[in-house]
Amino acid sequence: MSNAQAVERPKNAEPWTKLGPKVKIASIITIALPSSIFALTLFVTGIDFMAGLLTIFLPLQLLVGALAGFYSFGRRGIMDGLLLVATFFLSLFVLVLLTSVLWSVFEAGFRAMSPHFIYQNNVYVSGQTGLEIGGVGHAILGTIITVGISTIITVPLGVATAVYLTETREKGRGVIRTLLQAMSALPSVVAGLFIFSMLILSGWSGYSGLMGSLALIPLMLPTISRVAEESLRLVPADLRNGALALGAPAYRAFFMVTLPAAKSGIVTAILLGIARVIGETAPILLTVAFANGTNINPLEGGMTTLPGYIFTFIILGDQTSIARAWGAALVLLVFVGILFAAARIASAPKKAKKRSA
Amino acid sequence: MSNFHLETKDINVWFGARHVLKDVNLQFPNNKVTALIGPSGCGKSTFIRTLNRMHELIPGAGLSGEVRLDGQDIYGEAVDPVDVRIKIGMVFQKPNPFPTMSIKDNVMSGIKLSGVSRSDTADLVEVSLKRAAMWNEVKDRLSDPAISLSGGQQQRLCIARSLAMNPEVLLMDEPCSALDPGSTRRIEETILELKENVTIVIVTHNMQQAQRISDQTAFFLAEDNTPGYVVEFGETQQIFYGPIDPRTNEYVNGRFG
Repeated sequence: MSNAQAVERPKNAEPWTKLGPKVKIASIITIALPSSIFALTLFVTGIDFMAGLLTIFLPLQLLVGALAGFYSFGRRGIMDGLLLVATFFLSLFVLVLLTSVLWSVFEAGFRAMSPHFIYQNNVYVSGQTGLEIGGVGHAILGTIITVGISTIITVPLGVATAVYLTETREKGRGVIRTLLQAMSALPSVVAGLFIFSMLILSGWSGYSGLMGSLALIPLMLPTISRVAEESLRLVPADLRNGALALGAPAYRAFFMVTLPAAKSGIVTAILLGIARVIGETAPILLTVAFANGTNINPLEGGMTTLPGYIFTFIILGDQTSIARAWGAALVLLVFVGILFAAARIASAPKKAKKRSA
Repeated sequence: MSNFHLETKDINVWFGARHVLKDVNLQFPNNKVTALIGPSGCGKSTFIRTLNRMHELIPGAGLSGEVRLDGQDIYGEAVDPVDVRIKIGMVFQKPNPFPTMSIKDNVMSGIKLSGVSRSDTADLVEVSLKRAAMWNEVKDRLSDPAISLSGGQQQRLCIARSLAMNPEVLLMDEPCSALDPGSTRRIEETILELKENVTIVIVTHNMQQAQRISDQTAFFLAEDNTPGYVVEFGETQQIFYGPIDPRTNEYVNGRFG
């Protein structure tokens, strides 16, 4: 037998990346020419950067892009060139916006940042206290407790709703779906007011972490169930049928085949649900109130959450308080970042082992 | 009581108000292979799905008539569809191994999914994969994900998965339509071996395949928005070489469809 022998992959095994001299020259000119002219104009006339960007650079770049497209590919290249420049410019625009938001949080937040800012609470802190005392430790715990409790309650509810919508043929599905849509438009302050008037004003309970968790549930539920519904819907009917044809009762087919296949989508649903409520301020202020000390009992007494902390300190108005609020914003941002990264890693599909040749 | 293993009596099928299958009476004797042939849209696949109660999972599905397994109507009042599907296995047109499970777990999936307790599970993986003629190909990579297999292997894995349940009847809905000739040949060989113990019903568009593997053949036809029905049913040799109905003759000789 003379089997074909495997050969090592050559360095450039991507012939589609070879562009030819014409396209190369056009690309270099498109990148270099408008920006150098723009830089020169800025230098010579001292025109405002943003104004120059929009009045000189963008039209020039579009023109050069279109011409380069025409030079490389003829008439159909014009539209290609224009679209490429427009796409690139708009992506850059959004990227700059996003980065500047992140940057301002990091820059302003770092002033308050120190190890004790993470674990201390703010008993003994007033507007006159320096940044060397006090922190958001109690607010981090408060956020974890309130959001944690509502996640534990909402995830089963939300996933069960999604299962009802996708796996059954009940007549109530249309109504439920409409209600979920309506719920997702519910202003968060209304959810807070509802719990406040029903459970707190009536004297049934005082301000507490649990009340906050309850207020977050109606905000989280529509997000979780709608995203979970989409991910369950994406599981091919063939798989469900395969399981049922083997004699699986519906519940086993769901838990052993459908749910594992939709796992990463369900995790995304939970993440988006958490993201929806972790920054909520209004319902928290109405139901959890505020506390300077650390309170880890969700059943009794006020708590502070990170958004509540930010809100309280930013309206105090003095320099150190504002710095503290920015610091808390930074902590919240990093907190969410870590949470998302962890969940993404946990839900990543196991890499399929290399197919044996 | 009849002496047929599986038998249908006046099966009529509707989707919503549309009548798609009319008065199907077929008999499937023990350990014989029956081929269902006919042009697309004539109701073969719909019919085969009525035989293990997969039909009722389609929204808007309707049915009248009886499907008797060993004389018992599987649509009887107290019959659990789960029990029916354990006895009557099914292989689908597109290979559908469970993507989150390994090759081994796929073979065992029926046992776990249906919750039947079996004493002989120890070498069930090996036995089932051997019956589906793929043990030698996969014995060294049983823990690999099932989706790492080729299309033909995936389909044979699905057959092995059904066989692990030790079904009395195996329904196959165009099992080779997505496969190359080599894989098709292996599946056909598997079918001929399985015949020893299992009653097989197979939908196929491939006339040669029907002739190679089946003992009897039913020709389905649906004309101009009328319900599909069985034009002719008999021994495979007779359907292909001495059909009574001229339309059967035209179809098996490739003149329409």
